[in-house]
Amino acid sequence: MVADEPTLARLMAATQNGDKAAGNVLLTEVGVWLERYFRRRVPPHSIDDLVQDVLIAFYTKRATWDPARPFLPWLAAIARYRWVDHLRKVYKHDSKELMEDDAVEDSEEEVVLARVSLDRLFGQIPDKQAEVIEMVKISGLSIREAAEKTGQSESLVKVNIHRGLKKLASLVEKAD
Amino acid sequence: MTDLPQDPSDSAMSRDDLIASLTEDLTPIRRVRPVEGMVLIAFATIIASVASIAAHEWWDGLLTGDASGYFIITHGLLLVLGAASTAALVSGALPRVGARANAPLWSAIMLGILPLGAIINLLSGNGDHAREGLNDPAAYMCTTASLAAGALVLVAAVLWLRRGAPVSLERSGWLAGLAAGSLGTLAYGITCPLDTFSHVGLWHVAPVAIGAVVGRLVVPPLIRW
Repeated sequence: MVADEPTLARLMAATQNGDKAAGNVLLTEVGVWLERYFRRRVPPHSIDDLVQDVLIAFYTKRATWDPARPFLPWLAAIARYRWVDHLRKVYKHDSKELMEDDAVEDSEEEVVLARVSLDRLFGQIPDKQAEVIEMVKISGLSIREAAEKTGQSESLVKVNIHRGLKKLASLVEKAD
Repeated sequence: MTDLPQDPSDSAMSRDDLIASLTEDLTPIRRVRPVEGMVLIAFATIIASVASIAAHEWWDGLLTGDASGYFIITHGLLLVLGAASTAALVSGALPRVGARANAPLWSAIMLGILPLGAIINLLSGNGDHAREGLNDPAAYMCTTASLAAGALVLVAAVLWLRRGAPVSLERSGWLAGLAAGSLGTLAYGITCPLDTFSHVGLWHVAPVAIGAVVGRLVVPPLIRW
């Protein structure tokens, strides 16, 4: 199991101060986290190369982490940057193949992070839109069931889903 | 050519080796602090201003009250755009996820009103008026001197970005160009005694647009990591 955010942040602070033992543990933990991160994003044979690539980037850019900010989003930003760079280089002419999901399992961290991200995004759209998107698109209720539960008309549920998803898409586009 | 599947134990072994070697070389580092980026770019702007004053002489219109309102508004907006793009550029050098600041975009749009107004102003007069405004003999001088001053700011921005780890290269390129264009024009602008609406609205804004495009084209390859 990969260490949690506070533990990783403490290890990172110690690593920035030159603590080799903390650095070793952190690099190992980060390697495991990255392996799970990339499992859903690249073919299995590319995972280890990419993990090592990010470990080197992580090491060389470790001065850019601010202890006042969370560690995992910082790591995720670096991983995403290297991943996009990898996609550009390796799959320049066949990006479609890349997007195939070779993952066989979800990691606990991914589920938690996805939920956190989703909740944060939902916080930026009106409650009525978030509520029906959650019911219909995540929980799998029908439009009618969502309408009955929320007291909105069926057409209003559809409109709220449409508008909410559109807003969410623009928020995701704007995010790094 | 086919990709051969890797033996997982080989991967694990090479990763362990890598981690061991990185750990072995681990030394304390000095954290990259956003305030250092702000100071670096502010310092470059001051140097550019001093160099502009040395080369073109100081115009005291701002102090004596001779400067027109257009002059003050234009350079005030340049300062706002420079500050907004510098702040976004500096924070963009540190990897993070989340929504991005829109301040540089809105500041640039506000500044964009000036050339639009200047063109409308020129076209609403007679033909000679428009011709004179567009054939401004100082246009070339103001544009090139502003870009020269901006080059210094651009160098500082690139140095900062190279020290950091920008994860959005194109955006960083635009921001570096906007900061260089606006702060460079501001640095030179304080020496320019021409303060008509058509002059400052066109030729003290054009270097910002040119700088942004140059930044977008030139900066990303320099900061890739």
